[in-house]
Amino acid sequence: MWQWFFRLGSPKWFYEMSGKWLPWLLVLMTVLMSVGIFWALLFVPQDYQQGDTIRIMYVHVPVASISLACFPLMAVAGVITLVWKMKLADMVAKCAAPIGAWFTAVALATGAIWGQPIWGTWWAWDARLTSMLIQFFLLIGVIALRSAIESPDAAAKACALLAIVGAINVPIIKYSVEWWNTLHQPASDFSMDENSAFGPEIWVPLVIMIFAVYLFFVISLILSTRNEILQRERRSQWVMDIVANEKV
Amino acid sequence: MFEQIQFNSVTEFFQMGKYTFHVWSVYGLFSIFILVNLFLPRVQRRQFIREQRNKALRDAQLAKNTAGQQERESAKGESS
Amino acid sequence: MSDTANNTSSSQPLGRAPIAQVSTFSAFKATLKRDLLIALKRRNDLLNPLMFFLIVVSLFPLGVSSDPQELTRIAAGAVWVSALLASMLSLDNLFRADYEDGSLEQLLLSPQPLYFMVLAKNISHWLISGLPVVLLSPLLAYMLYLPADAYWTLVLTLLLGTPVLSLFGAIGVALTVGLGSRGLILAVIVLPLTVPVLIIGAKAVADASLGVPIGMHYALLGALLALSLSLAPLASAAALKISVN
Repeated sequence: MWQWFFRLGSPKWFYEMSGKWLPWLLVLMTVLMSVGIFWALLFVPQDYQQGDTIRIMYVHVPVASISLACFPLMAVAGVITLVWKMKLADMVAKCAAPIGAWFTAVALATGAIWGQPIWGTWWAWDARLTSMLIQFFLLIGVIALRSAIESPDAAAKACALLAIVGAINVPIIKYSVEWWNTLHQPASDFSMDENSAFGPEIWVPLVIMIFAVYLFFVISLILSTRNEILQRERRSQWVMDIVANEKV
Repeated sequence: MFEQIQFNSVTEFFQMGKYTFHVWSVYGLFSIFILVNLFLPRVQRRQFIREQRNKALRDAQLAKNTAGQQERESAKGESS
Repeated sequence: MSDTANNTSSSQPLGRAPIAQVSTFSAFKATLKRDLLIALKRRNDLLNPLMFFLIVVSLFPLGVSSDPQELTRIAAGAVWVSALLASMLSLDNLFRADYEDGSLEQLLLSPQPLYFMVLAKNISHWLISGLPVVLLSPLLAYMLYLPADAYWTLVLTLLLGTPVLSLFGAIGVALTVGLGSRGLILAVIVLPLTVPVLIIGAKAVADASLGVPIGMHYALLGALLALSLSLAPLASAAALKISVN
């Protein structure tokens, strides 16, 4: 098991393996995504309250759920960076931060658009949106710290630590914002929990979309991690071989 | 589950009830997001490879020049 | 850390007396005393956070309205936000001078657990920059027409909350201590982390002025303080080790 773990830590091994996986992942993602989107747009019945805006859920919920997974991912990578000093973990953490920020921004935008008919404004200080916004700020902080520290080694460790601190803080922020929000105003009738009486015609496409967007996250993370590997290992022979042989 | 398509006509589909802008802007944003995130890494990768190639060429040129210079200098030294 | 202590003493050449072991507690006290003395010598550093606090609070009536009713409504939030900003501003001199004159490196090399050393620095920093803000707050609250019922709540929540701000801030300072320009990046890193404290503190004061019971708010703030007292100095210590190399 440990051998496998450390082999995974070798950037070259990861680069080669991910190169083999990528086409399959892309095919799977395309299939799931097209099925999910067609289903969501054409076949999902209108909600008796929300009408056709129910179709926004099939984009917003997957994107939001994955943007919540970003901080735990960075924190785990941070622990691996600090404890085992594995280079690959840091590369993944470095690439995950901007991608996570993108996901969070899209989740914020789609959430605001989804909420507009219910709230009557494009922005409401709803608990979920607010904690998402603060998570976005935290991610921006990690990215800013990374770009501010020149030495890559120190930047890796500092960002790993900040990611761990942030991951501990994210649930605290989430609960305090929820607490603040419920005391400020009655909870909006816009919540996922009460839709628990979902029939399968509602949640099956949602599950498909969640898987598809998850795959999309993994693929874009792999793609930018591969670039990062090439960048950092540019002086090693195997990268030089790739550079010399690839057709551009 | 695929009982029926929820729309009677194509126009109705594009209209999305009252929520034309809401639904289509979300899906538009989502598709732009996906396309950008899939293609940007490819562009960056190409850029990286081009840069490294140019650098390799420059280095080779530089090595050749200095080697030529050294040869010439040593030849000069021998002739004088 | 105790391993390092043993190593340093055992690696002493034979025949020489081993270094006198300093207990953790006396090192803690010495660090606290030293930092307090240094700060007391620099009067400006003492006054600046207070002045900043005063100025920011007085911007609210100018920017919002001088109507007493409206000010009453925002008083709790305004005082809390200003206290947060003042403690952010004063963070800058937490580790910087020590970093520049090299005594921070000495601290990292000392055999005592770094947790307590960082905690001592945090406490002295809070005594110098946080406590005066807490003590000044009732006056400013009066200027913003905070209802009389909420004064004690304001002081108590600030007393519980500002140490948390300092402790969280210290992590950010420790991460950025080696950087040239760090004012803005420090705020970007630390401000999101302080959101829970602000929410709970400002809410407690607002609720107290409405006459709502606020035991829950104190419990939450206390929990945050306990959590950050036990974990934040560890994170700061780790961050200092990363930054000072």
